[in-house]
Amino acid sequence: MASDLLAIAASGARAARGALDVTAQNIANAASDGYVRRTARMEEVSAAGGQMRMGDLSLSGVRISGIQRNADMFRQSEVRRTTADSSRGAAELAGLQNVQAAVEQSGVYSAVVGFEASLQALTADPVDPAMRAEVIASAQAMTNKFNIAAGSLDSAGEGLRFNAQAGVDQANVYGGELARLNLRIGRAGADSSDRATLLDQRDLLLGKLSDIADISTSFGPDGSVRVGLGAGGATDFVTGGTAATLTMATATDGTVSFQAGGNAFTPSGGLLAGSANALVEVAGTLGQLDTLADSMAAAFNTVQTGGITPAGSPGQPLFSGSGAGGITTALTDGAMLATAPAGAAIGSRDASNLAAMRQALESGGTASGVNRLLFDVSSKVAGREVTQGALDAIASSASVALEEQAGVDLDTEAANLIRFQQAFQASGRAMQVASTIFDTLLGIK
Amino acid sequence: MISLSTGAFYERASRQMGDLRAQATTLQQQIGTGKRLDRSSDDPVAAARMRTLERTQRMAGIDQQNSASANTDLQLTDTALGSVADLIVRAKELATQAANGTLNNSQRASIGLEVQGLADNLLAIANTRNGAGHALFGGQAAGDAYSKTGGTVGYDGTTALDTIDLGDGQTVLPGMVGPDAFSFTVGASSTDLFAVLGGLATALQGGASDPAQSARDAMGALDAGLDKVTTAQTVVGARMGWIELMDDRRTQMSEMVTTEQASTGGADIAASMTRLQEMMTVLQASQASFVKLANLSLFNEIR
Repeated sequence: MASDLLAIAASGARAARGALDVTAQNIANAASDGYVRRTARMEEVSAAGGQMRMGDLSLSGVRISGIQRNADMFRQSEVRRTTADSSRGAAELAGLQNVQAAVEQSGVYSAVVGFEASLQALTADPVDPAMRAEVIASAQAMTNKFNIAAGSLDSAGEGLRFNAQAGVDQANVYGGELARLNLRIGRAGADSSDRATLLDQRDLLLGKLSDIADISTSFGPDGSVRVGLGAGGATDFVTGGTAATLTMATATDGTVSFQAGGNAFTPSGGLLAGSANALVEVAGTLGQLDTLADSMAAAFNTVQTGGITPAGSPGQPLFSGSGAGGITTALTDGAMLATAPAGAAIGSRDASNLAAMRQALESGGTASGVNRLLFDVSSKVAGREVTQGALDAIASSASVALEEQAGVDLDTEAANLIRFQQAFQASGRAMQVASTIFDTLLGIK
Repeated sequence: MISLSTGAFYERASRQMGDLRAQATTLQQQIGTGKRLDRSSDDPVAAARMRTLERTQRMAGIDQQNSASANTDLQLTDTALGSVADLIVRAKELATQAANGTLNNSQRASIGLEVQGLADNLLAIANTRNGAGHALFGGQAAGDAYSKTGGTVGYDGTTALDTIDLGDGQTVLPGMVGPDAFSFTVGASSTDLFAVLGGLATALQGGASDPAQSARDAMGALDAGLDKVTTAQTVVGARMGWIELMDDRRTQMSEMVTTEQASTGGADIAASMTRLQEMMTVLQASQASFVKLANLSLFNEIR
């Protein structure tokens, strides 16, 4: 007889110990980031009988054949995809909220209305010095508000570019780490616990990377991963043991573009895509604000230079500079406002040129233009907020789904503890039986 | 079998309670500020409407100021025209006295002296300034409306007067230019009050061979002048009425704007409070159930 009861029982006790270790490891790592629940895979050890002794019992017990990692590749890739979407949405939304705050909280709209109101108040008495000074003061307030809005937009863009650059730097770190992991995974023994730990790290890094950009992954038979970027993952990022370097380039209008190892790619998800999209919005809003400021200044200056001041001299331009960031109020004295039409008497209260100024502002649509710009930006923010809510919910349900499948359930582990403890005790009992049998045999006199 | 991992349980619970707390905070903010809109993106359409309403209200405030100043000018004009009318009536009395054949020339000369005084008063009244220091009857001119050179009074102002905007595209003329109040035609020739009074004073003080006849002639002209001045007063009164009408309209508009602002951008306190209460109940319930479920571990039962 080739079987050895003591050896079988000992192998059972060993296997149960191993399973208990795995259970304890699961419990210990219940809250670890990226930890995937392990299961000890058990296998019967037996041998066929030797030649001519086919009928013999040949049982050799049990052994732990490997540590199984309960990761579902599909759920993991779903988590990566939805994370990239939600992080793109979050970055874009944050950028747009900054754009909205820049235009809204700088108070451009109410300053434009204030300028119009001061001109309208001046119609009551066009030569009143106090009211004229008020017009100049509100013109200065308006140009200041335009400057502030442009400055806030610039710093919003600055912040977005900073975030994107930080993302690029972080992605380079992750890429290098993944390349190193690829090499180590190839060397780790199949089904070893070392390998499981490396795969955990690999998946954790891939998850972090998809926060930064949408990645496409393909896994080699040895568990190493190839990471591609851009449309269809066509641009290589991590291949085997090498990682390409990501770089970011800033255009003159403040928008950004990305390259991996010298090859241009356009991310469609993650922090990079969100920041790039938001920067396009920043540039667009700044352009619209510039147009509004320029057309307002041009329309007003045309009327102003066409009239004469109460002192009888021709009007000088009220606004100078170009763009929302550069516009300034050139006149400081209310007496320089050309409220009277050319040819009017000195000190005339003829306000027809003042009426033309108000008309120019009204028909130029400065106030309504700013209102529309604010409406555009805020409705984009509102739309993105809804989208972001949905993307967040999708991403969170994907990660919960993965967590449910791959995470540790303490109740299950508690049950396993009892189960393997009992298995261990039972194997011990089997050893006791073997010992009793031997004692019986040895006791034969 | 659906296995719910411990991590997933905690993540889900914290997310749900975080959501509830965020909603409760938003409601609390609405109740605290009384505004439904904190940022434009809370409701872009309503926010754009609110901005337009804010502009309407601000412009209406300016219209109100302008209308008040126009009203003041018109009241000053009305008072001045009333004084002129009194003055003409007095001049007529004096002319009637002077026309009496029983008076001698020296008595007429003293009447002429008083008429001369009236003529001077008329010039002072015609040069009245408004609150901003501009000639009330001078149109757009910078200085006095009338000036006296070599015994003749001439008009220095402009014939046009700037209108004042009352909002809604409506305007009003905040006064009257001199010629509209003081110039008229007698027979076929055009004249003005200054010429009539000045002429009468000169005639009574020995400038005419038959002062009594001159006085009789002047009475007709004075009647025409009184007509002109009272007509001007009526016009001024009508303009003040127009301003009052526009003020009423503006008040109504402002009420409507305020109502719309409240309904567009104001928080419905009752609804928000109810909603907040509901939110708090749900939050408390989910906190309680979370604590209960979290304590429900098999490890507690293993002894």
